[in-house]
Amino acid sequence: MQCDEIKELLAGYQDGELDGAQTAQVREHLAGCEACRTELGRLNKVKEVASKVQYKDLPLEVWEGYWQGVYRRIERGLGWIFASLGAVILLCFGLFHLVRDFFLRPEISIFAKLGVAGLIIGGAFLLVSLIRERMFAYHRERYREVQR
Amino acid sequence: MKKNGSMKEDDAMLMHQLKRGRVKALSGLVEKYKKQAYFLALGMVGNADDAFDVSQEAFLRVYQSARTFDDKQPFFPWFYAIVANLCRNVLKKRQTVDSRQVDIDEVGYLLADDGTPETELLEREEKRKLFAAMRKLPFADREIINLNHFRMMSYDEIASILNIPRGTVMSRLYYARRRLAELMEEDERHAMRRD
Ligand SMILES: [Zn+2]
Repeated sequence: MQCDEIKELLAGYQDGELDGAQTAQVREHLAGCEACRTELGRLNKVKEVASKVQYKDLPLEVWEGYWQGVYRRIERGLGWIFASLGAVILLCFGLFHLVRDFFLRPEISIFAKLGVAGLIIGGAFLLVSLIRERMFAYHRERYREVQR
Repeated sequence: MKKNGSMKEDDAMLMHQLKRGRVKALSGLVEKYKKQAYFLALGMVGNADDAFDVSQEAFLRVYQSARTFDDKQPFFPWFYAIVANLCRNVLKKRQTVDSRQVDIDEVGYLLADDGTPETELLEREEKRKLFAAMRKLPFADREIINLNHFRMMSYDEIASILNIPRGTVMSRLYYARRRLAELMEEDERHAMRRD
Protein backbone atom coordinates (compact mmCIF):
# COMPACT_ATOMS: atom_id res chain seq x y z
CA MET A 1 0.00 0.00 0.00
CA GLN A 2 1.05 3.53 -0.71
CA CYS A 3 1.76 6.07 2.05
CA ASP A 4 -1.28 8.11 0.99
CA GLU A 5 -3.60 5.16 1.46
CA ILE A 6 -2.06 4.35 4.82
CA LYS A 7 -2.42 7.93 5.99
CA GLU A 8 -6.15 7.83 5.40
CA LEU A 9 -6.25 4.93 7.85
CA LEU A 10 -4.01 6.48 10.48
CA ALA A 11 -6.77 8.16 12.46
CA GLY A 12 -8.68 4.89 12.60
CA TYR A 13 -5.49 3.14 13.67
CA GLN A 14 -5.01 5.63 16.50
CA ASP A 15 -8.60 5.26 17.65
CA GLY A 16 -8.83 1.50 17.37
CA GLU A 17 -11.53 1.83 14.74
CA LEU A 18 -9.91 -0.41 12.09
CA ASP A 19 -10.70 -4.03 11.49
CA GLY A 20 -8.06 -6.70 12.03
CA ALA A 21 -6.85 -6.82 8.44
CA GLN A 22 -6.52 -3.04 8.17
CA THR A 23 -4.66 -2.86 11.47
CA ALA A 24 -2.20 -5.47 10.26
CA GLN A 25 -1.68 -3.55 7.00
CA VAL A 26 -0.97 -0.31 8.81
CA ARG A 27 1.33 -1.99 11.29
CA GLU A 28 3.30 -3.65 8.55
CA HIS A 29 3.65 -0.43 6.61
CA LEU A 30 4.70 1.54 9.67
CA ALA A 31 7.45 -0.97 10.43
CA GLY A 32 9.09 -0.17 7.11
CA CYS A 33 8.25 3.52 6.64
CA GLU A 34 9.93 6.21 8.64
CA ALA A 35 7.81 9.04 7.17
CA CYS A 36 4.53 7.49 8.24
CA ARG A 37 5.91 6.73 11.70
CA THR A 38 6.81 10.41 12.09
CA GLU A 39 3.36 11.39 10.88
CA LEU A 40 1.74 9.08 13.41
CA GLY A 41 3.85 10.63 16.16
CA ARG A 42 2.56 14.09 15.30
CA LEU A 43 -1.01 12.87 15.24
CA ASN A 44 -0.59 11.10 18.55
CA LYS A 45 0.53 14.33 20.16
CA VAL A 46 -2.62 16.10 18.99
CA LYS A 47 -4.78 13.26 20.18
CA GLU A 48 -3.07 13.24 23.54
CA VAL A 49 -3.56 16.96 24.18
CA ALA A 50 -7.14 16.85 22.92
CA SER A 51 -7.96 13.91 25.15
CA LYS A 52 -7.04 15.99 28.20
CA VAL A 53 -9.46 18.74 27.33
CA GLN A 54 -12.49 18.66 29.52
CA TYR A 55 -14.95 21.48 29.61
CA LYS A 56 -16.16 22.85 32.86
CA ASP A 57 -19.82 22.33 33.55
CA LEU A 58 -22.12 25.25 34.22
CA PRO A 59 -23.51 25.84 37.71
CA LEU A 60 -26.55 23.81 38.66
CA GLU A 61 -28.82 26.89 38.83
CA VAL A 62 -28.14 27.58 35.20
CA TRP A 63 -29.33 24.10 34.23
CA GLU A 64 -32.31 24.33 36.51
CA GLY A 65 -33.45 27.57 34.91
CA TYR A 66 -32.65 26.37 31.42
CA TRP A 67 -36.14 25.40 30.34
CA GLN A 68 -37.46 28.76 31.54
CA GLY A 69 -35.01 30.43 29.20
CA VAL A 70 -36.18 28.40 26.22
CA TYR A 71 -39.78 29.00 27.16
CA ARG A 72 -39.21 32.76 27.31
CA ARG A 73 -37.79 32.66 23.82
CA ILE A 74 -40.90 30.87 22.58
CA GLU A 75 -43.15 33.33 24.37
CA ARG A 76 -41.26 36.27 22.97
CA GLY A 77 -41.56 34.79 19.49
CA LEU A 78 -45.32 34.38 19.90
CA GLY A 79 -45.54 37.86 21.40
CA TRP A 80 -43.95 39.33 18.30
CA ILE A 81 -46.26 37.42 16.03
CA PHE A 82 -49.41 38.60 17.82
CA ALA A 83 -48.18 42.16 18.18
CA SER A 84 -47.33 42.44 14.50
CA LEU A 85 -50.60 40.78 13.54
CA GLY A 86 -52.48 43.33 15.66
CA ALA A 87 -50.54 46.19 14.11
CA VAL A 88 -51.33 44.97 10.60
CA ILE A 89 -55.05 44.67 11.40
CA LEU A 90 -55.17 48.17 12.87
CA LEU A 91 -53.29 49.59 9.92
CA CYS A 92 -55.63 47.94 7.42
CA PHE A 93 -58.65 49.10 9.37
CA GLY A 94 -57.41 52.71 9.47
CA LEU A 95 -56.51 52.68 5.79
CA PHE A 96 -59.87 51.24 4.87
CA HIS A 97 -61.69 54.06 6.63
CA LEU A 98 -59.48 56.71 5.14
CA VAL A 99 -59.97 55.34 1.64
CA ARG A 100 -63.72 54.88 2.08
CA ASP A 101 -64.17 58.47 3.30
CA PHE A 102 -62.14 59.66 0.35
CA PHE A 103 -64.26 57.83 -2.21
CA LEU A 104 -67.57 58.75 -0.58
CA ARG A 105 -66.90 62.48 -0.70
CA PRO A 106 -68.92 63.88 -3.63
CA GLU A 107 -66.85 67.05 -4.07
CA ILE A 108 -63.76 65.08 -5.17
CA SER A 109 -63.54 64.61 -8.91
CA ILE A 110 -63.96 61.15 -10.42
CA PHE A 111 -60.51 61.42 -12.01
CA ALA A 112 -58.80 61.87 -8.66
CA LYS A 113 -60.74 58.89 -7.38
CA LEU A 114 -59.70 56.75 -10.37
CA GLY A 115 -56.08 57.83 -9.88
CA VAL A 116 -56.09 56.89 -6.24
CA ALA A 117 -57.82 53.60 -6.99
CA GLY A 118 -55.08 52.78 -9.52
CA LEU A 119 -52.42 53.61 -6.96
CA ILE A 120 -54.01 51.38 -4.36
CA ILE A 121 -54.46 48.42 -6.68
CA GLY A 122 -50.93 48.75 -8.04
CA GLY A 123 -49.51 49.05 -4.54
CA ALA A 124 -51.42 45.99 -3.41
CA PHE A 125 -50.04 43.95 -6.30
CA LEU A 126 -46.49 45.04 -5.55
CA LEU A 127 -46.92 44.21 -1.89
CA VAL A 128 -48.28 40.73 -2.53
CA SER A 129 -45.50 40.00 -4.99
CA LEU A 130 -42.89 41.21 -2.53
CA ILE A 131 -44.30 39.14 0.31
CA ARG A 132 -44.43 36.07 -1.88
CA GLU A 133 -40.81 36.50 -2.86
CA ARG A 134 -39.73 36.95 0.76
CA MET A 135 -41.64 33.91 1.88
CA PHE A 136 -40.11 31.85 -0.85
CA ALA A 137 -36.59 32.90 0.15
CA TYR A 138 -37.39 32.18 3.79
CA HIS A 139 -38.53 28.65 3.04
CA ARG A 140 -35.45 28.01 1.01
CA GLU A 141 -33.23 29.17 3.86
CA ARG A 142 -35.10 27.06 6.34
CA TYR A 143 -34.68 24.07 4.13
CA ARG A 144 -30.99 24.62 3.75
CA GLU A 145 -30.64 24.99 7.45
CA VAL A 146 -32.07 21.60 8.24
CA GLN A 147 -30.82 19.75 5.18
CA ARG A 148 -27.12 19.17 5.18
CA MET B 1 -24.20 9.24 24.28
CA LYS B 2 -26.73 6.56 25.01
CA LYS B 3 -28.56 5.06 22.11
CA ASN B 4 -31.11 2.42 22.55
CA GLY B 5 -34.45 1.68 21.01
CA SER B 6 -36.64 3.02 23.76
CA MET B 7 -34.87 6.39 23.92
CA LYS B 8 -35.28 6.85 20.21
CA GLU B 9 -38.95 6.00 20.52
CA ASP B 10 -39.23 8.55 23.30
CA ASP B 11 -37.80 11.21 21.00
CA ALA B 12 -40.17 10.26 18.22
CA MET B 13 -43.10 10.40 20.60
CA LEU B 14 -42.09 13.76 21.96
CA MET B 15 -41.62 15.20 18.48
CA HIS B 16 -44.98 13.81 17.50
CA GLN B 17 -46.62 15.61 20.42
CA LEU B 18 -44.68 18.77 19.70
CA LYS B 19 -45.98 18.73 16.14
CA ARG B 20 -49.46 18.83 17.58
CA GLY B 21 -48.50 21.95 19.46
CA ARG B 22 -47.80 20.55 22.90
CA VAL B 23 -45.04 22.73 24.33
CA LYS B 24 -44.66 20.36 27.26
CA ALA B 25 -43.17 17.82 24.87
CA LEU B 26 -40.39 20.25 24.08
CA SER B 27 -39.45 20.47 27.72
CA GLY B 28 -38.88 16.71 27.67
CA LEU B 29 -36.45 17.09 24.78
CA VAL B 30 -34.81 20.06 26.46
CA GLU B 31 -34.19 18.15 29.68
CA LYS B 32 -32.70 15.30 27.74
CA TYR B 33 -30.50 17.22 25.32
CA LYS B 34 -29.68 20.57 26.94
CA LYS B 35 -26.19 19.57 28.09
CA GLN B 36 -25.39 17.87 24.81
CA ALA B 37 -26.44 21.00 22.96
CA TYR B 38 -24.40 23.29 25.16
CA PHE B 39 -21.21 21.24 25.07
CA LEU B 40 -21.50 20.57 21.35
CA ALA B 41 -21.75 24.29 20.76
CA LEU B 42 -19.01 25.09 23.23
CA GLY B 43 -16.55 22.90 21.39
CA MET B 44 -17.31 24.73 18.18
CA VAL B 45 -17.68 28.35 19.23
CA GLY B 46 -15.22 28.15 22.15
CA ASN B 47 -17.07 30.62 24.33
CA ALA B 48 -19.55 29.88 27.11
CA ASP B 49 -21.99 32.74 26.46
CA ASP B 50 -22.28 32.05 22.75
CA ALA B 51 -22.57 28.32 23.36
CA PHE B 52 -25.38 28.82 25.84
CA ASP B 53 -27.19 31.16 23.50
CA VAL B 54 -26.80 28.78 20.58
CA SER B 55 -28.15 25.87 22.62
CA GLN B 56 -31.27 27.76 23.67
CA GLU B 57 -31.86 29.11 20.20
CA ALA B 58 -31.55 25.58 18.86
CA PHE B 59 -34.49 24.45 20.99
CA LEU B 60 -36.51 27.41 19.83
CA ARG B 61 -35.81 26.32 16.25
CA VAL B 62 -36.93 22.81 17.14
CA TYR B 63 -40.21 24.30 18.29
CA GLN B 64 -40.56 26.47 15.20
CA SER B 65 -39.66 23.79 12.64
CA ALA B 66 -41.22 20.78 14.36
CA ARG B 67 -43.68 20.55 11.46
CA THR B 68 -40.87 19.96 8.99
CA PHE B 69 -39.40 17.13 11.07
CA ASP B 70 -39.62 13.72 9.42
CA ASP B 71 -40.97 11.25 11.98
CA LYS B 72 -39.14 8.35 10.39
CA GLN B 73 -35.77 9.98 10.97
CA PRO B 74 -33.97 9.95 14.33
CA PHE B 75 -34.21 13.18 16.26
CA PHE B 76 -30.63 13.74 17.27
CA PRO B 77 -28.95 14.12 13.85
CA TRP B 78 -31.67 16.56 12.85
CA PHE B 79 -31.17 18.49 16.06
CA TYR B 80 -27.41 18.40 15.64
CA ALA B 81 -27.71 19.96 12.19
CA ILE B 82 -29.59 22.87 13.75
CA VAL B 83 -26.96 23.34 16.44
CA ALA B 84 -24.10 23.15 13.94
CA ASN B 85 -25.76 25.71 11.70
CA LEU B 86 -26.24 28.15 14.52
CA CYS B 87 -22.58 27.68 15.47
CA ARG B 88 -21.57 28.34 11.89
CA ASN B 89 -23.54 31.58 11.97
CA VAL B 90 -21.89 32.69 15.21
CA LEU B 91 -18.45 32.01 13.78
CA LYS B 92 -19.27 33.79 10.55
CA LYS B 93 -20.41 36.85 12.44
CA ARG B 94 -17.36 36.76 14.64
CA GLN B 95 -14.87 36.37 11.83
CA THR B 96 -14.83 40.10 11.22
CA VAL B 97 -14.07 41.02 14.81
CA ASP B 98 -12.10 38.00 15.96
CA SER B 99 -8.45 38.79 16.42
CA ARG B 100 -7.82 35.07 16.66
CA GLN B 101 -6.03 35.55 19.93
CA VAL B 102 -6.81 33.08 22.65
CA ASP B 103 -6.42 34.34 26.13
CA ILE B 104 -5.02 31.75 28.50
CA ASP B 105 -7.47 32.88 31.16
CA GLU B 106 -10.33 32.38 28.79
CA VAL B 107 -9.24 28.82 28.16
CA GLY B 108 -8.66 28.18 31.85
CA TYR B 109 -12.10 29.45 32.62
CA LEU B 110 -13.70 27.01 30.22
CA LEU B 111 -11.77 23.94 31.24
CA ALA B 112 -12.36 21.66 34.17
CA ASP B 113 -9.49 21.53 36.65
CA ASP B 114 -7.45 18.39 36.48
CA GLY B 115 -3.91 17.31 37.16
CA THR B 116 -1.47 18.41 39.81
CA PRO B 117 -0.21 22.00 40.04
CA GLU B 118 3.22 21.20 38.55
CA THR B 119 1.83 19.49 35.47
CA GLU B 120 -0.91 22.03 35.18
CA LEU B 121 1.16 24.88 33.79
CA LEU B 122 2.60 22.80 31.00
CA GLU B 123 -0.74 21.23 30.22
CA ARG B 124 -2.44 24.57 30.17
CA GLU B 125 0.06 25.87 27.67
CA GLU B 126 -0.54 22.84 25.50
CA LYS B 127 -4.27 23.25 25.74
CA ARG B 128 -3.99 26.93 24.93
CA LYS B 129 -2.04 26.01 21.83
CA LEU B 130 -4.71 23.50 20.90
CA PHE B 131 -7.47 26.06 21.33
CA ALA B 132 -5.63 28.68 19.33
CA ALA B 133 -5.17 26.12 16.58
CA MET B 134 -8.80 25.02 16.77
CA ARG B 135 -9.88 28.56 16.06
CA LYS B 136 -7.96 28.60 12.84
CA LEU B 137 -9.42 25.33 11.58
CA PRO B 138 -12.06 25.32 8.86
CA PHE B 139 -15.49 24.53 10.22
CA ALA B 140 -15.66 20.91 9.03
CA ASP B 141 -12.35 20.08 10.72
CA ARG B 142 -13.34 21.81 13.90
CA GLU B 143 -16.62 19.97 13.88
CA ILE B 144 -15.13 16.51 13.54
CA ILE B 145 -12.48 17.18 16.20
CA ASN B 146 -15.20 18.42 18.51
CA LEU B 147 -17.37 15.34 18.03
CA ASN B 148 -14.55 12.86 18.30
CA HIS B 149 -12.30 14.34 20.96
CA PHE B 150 -14.42 16.59 23.08
CA ARG B 151 -17.71 14.71 22.80
CA MET B 152 -16.01 11.33 22.55
CA MET B 153 -18.28 9.88 19.91
CA SER B 154 -17.40 6.74 18.01
CA TYR B 155 -16.97 6.77 14.23
CA ASP B 156 -20.36 5.14 13.83
CA GLU B 157 -22.05 7.79 15.91
CA ILE B 158 -20.33 10.59 14.01
CA ALA B 159 -21.20 8.97 10.69
CA SER B 160 -24.88 8.85 11.61
CA ILE B 161 -24.95 12.42 12.93
CA LEU B 162 -23.17 13.96 9.95
CA ASN B 163 -24.78 11.57 7.52
CA ILE B 164 -21.47 10.59 5.92
CA PRO B 165 -19.81 7.18 5.44
CA ARG B 166 -17.61 5.80 8.19
CA GLY B 167 -14.56 5.91 5.95
CA THR B 168 -15.09 9.62 5.43
CA VAL B 169 -15.17 10.15 9.18
CA MET B 170 -11.80 8.47 9.38
CA SER B 171 -10.12 10.39 6.60
CA ARG B 172 -11.62 13.69 7.73
CA LEU B 173 -10.27 13.07 11.21
CA TYR B 174 -6.86 12.36 9.80
CA TYR B 175 -6.75 15.64 7.86
CA ALA B 176 -8.17 17.59 10.79
CA ARG B 177 -5.57 16.19 13.19
CA ARG B 178 -2.80 16.85 10.75
CA ARG B 179 -3.90 20.44 10.27
CA LEU B 180 -4.08 20.84 14.03
CA ALA B 181 -0.57 19.41 14.39
CA GLU B 182 0.73 21.85 11.79
CA LEU B 183 -0.92 24.81 13.45
CA MET B 184 0.34 23.82 16.87
CA GLU B 185 3.86 23.34 15.59
CA GLU B 186 3.67 26.74 13.95
CA ASP B 187 2.60 28.24 17.26
CA GLU B 188 5.60 26.58 18.92
CA ARG B 189 8.01 28.02 16.36
CA HIS B 190 6.53 31.48 16.92
CA ALA B 191 6.97 31.11 20.65
CA MET B 192 10.59 30.07 20.24
CA ARG B 193 11.31 33.04 18.02
CA ARG B 194 9.84 35.33 20.66
CA ASP B 195 12.16 33.95 23.37
ZN1 LIG C 1 4.57 5.45 4.53
